[in-house]
Amino acid sequence: MKTFITSRRETLKLLGATGTVAALGAWSIPARSNGNAGHVVVVGGGFGGATAAKYLKRYNPSLNVTLVEPVERFYTCPFTNLYLGGLRTFESVGHDYEELKRRYGVNVIHTTAQDIDGANHTVRLGDGSTLRYDRLVLSPGVDIRWDALAGYDEAAAGKAPHAWKAGDQTRLLRRQLEAMEDGGLFVLSAPDNPYRCPPGPYERVSMVAHYFKNHKPRSKVLLLDSKDAFSKQGLFMDGWEQVYGNMIEWVSLSNDGRVVRVDADRLEVETEFGERHQASVLNVVPPQKAGWIADRAGVTDQSGWVPVKPETFESAQVRDIYVVGDATVAAPMPKSGFCANAQAKVAAMAIVSSLAERPMPPASWANTCYSLIAPDYGISVAGVYSVQDGAIAEVEGSGGISPRDVGADFRRREARHAVGWYNAICQDTWGTQPA
Amino acid sequence: MINIMQNTTRYLTPGLLLLAGLVFSSAQAEEISYDHAAMLAGSCFNCHGTDGRYGEDSIPSIAGNSREVLLAQLQAFKRDETPDTTVMNRIAKGYSEAELKALADYFSSIRD
Repeated sequence: MKTFITSRRETLKLLGATGTVAALGAWSIPARSNGNAGHVVVVGGGFGGATAAKYLKRYNPSLNVTLVEPVERFYTCPFTNLYLGGLRTFESVGHDYEELKRRYGVNVIHTTAQDIDGANHTVRLGDGSTLRYDRLVLSPGVDIRWDALAGYDEAAAGKAPHAWKAGDQTRLLRRQLEAMEDGGLFVLSAPDNPYRCPPGPYERVSMVAHYFKNHKPRSKVLLLDSKDAFSKQGLFMDGWEQVYGNMIEWVSLSNDGRVVRVDADRLEVETEFGERHQASVLNVVPPQKAGWIADRAGVTDQSGWVPVKPETFESAQVRDIYVVGDATVAAPMPKSGFCANAQAKVAAMAIVSSLAERPMPPASWANTCYSLIAPDYGISVAGVYSVQDGAIAEVEGSGGISPRDVGADFRRREARHAVGWYNAICQDTWGTQPA
Repeated sequence: MINIMQNTTRYLTPGLLLLAGLVFSSAQAEEISYDHAAMLAGSCFNCHGTDGRYGEDSIPSIAGNSREVLLAQLQAFKRDETPDTTVMNRIAKGYSEAELKALADYFSSIRD
């Protein structure tokens, strides 16, 4: 197994390779204790949790790491829009836990976490057993607020899917798109901030439009929005016009875009000022909150999300519980898989440092979110983040969105980078190779 | 190699300097520590794979590349001197010169 922090031989190799640093005494690689250095339980095996488990073992192989994740195969939300657009199979966004088990020695338990007792440092599992932890990582993702939008409950989602968690909902939406007749209307209701994947609704309508353009060209896309502005807005709207003409219509909050009532039986939505829209396929992206286990752990606040200490992503409310990913309040970092992975590495370093009673190096995160407008038309937003004056902030001068005034070649290269990014982050998170 | 201390100390009063000298005495020897470099590099893995080893036609592997070449590339991205870049110029601007050097050190040191 390749580990990079403990081996003396690798230390020497590293110092030799970097030349001058040895003479300065820099990069003295911290020695980690052997034997059982502590037990860290990770709840949730998505981008945040799987990355945390892997990097805990990389940073200190003598840690005992247990990952609790119900499914044996995890399907990512990123790239499900490409599945909906017909660009890839659903299986191609699935990943397993074999590398974490075999290469990194993570103990993976496929069950649910039922309850968390922060005072006693225990997790109760779905099989009735209890795990004791020295540190806990929670990567609970998001849950739907079933009480936030009139008429939209779990039964309604069986007719008007949200498809905002990858799985049966995603496949249901794809089947509905396939069954729709040419000339139909696809309606997507987008929520107010914050929610998982800020550019997600806009990439989704792009991919649905791509499918329509090729298979049902008389169809239309209506995006009803609870916001007046959205991620990469100018780039998306340029691209929609260039690629899809007037197929996609976006209705902002100010233009009565906010959906206040859903009638899933009739596939009808009603907006704030009483206008009704009848859909052929209705996709409701509802308001969200941190995954429910975060409530059980006592780490959520009144907003329904999880406040964290910026330097470490330890809960601001419960000691020794670290929370990463979409569940956290980490703005200006977006709720993205990239950020969940980056946060998990910081949390893993913080845990390893705290268990070894060593200082934590300054935290650093980055993000790049690619969106596809068409298979050869990609756009991106990037950012680099650090802790400034006690809060997470974007490093001045860094990041930003793709330029607007560039040609097709630039968009084509960003579309290829999107696929390269997906393959690389899945390798870094689960160790899986592209399907 | 890496000189963050000069910039930090410039703005401190003599009294604070003494205190800073105590607090930073170990940091001064290490400057950007290995853990710090590993954490900076961690963000790069999301597109270049773990330790920069994953590469395909659109995104190159960067593991084990020459330190000098990596640093020159990062500096060129940061200064907008690489005309055909799409995103690396936006990312490189998020890192100080010392951090770029630490990243070049980190990825050049990766061996099988």
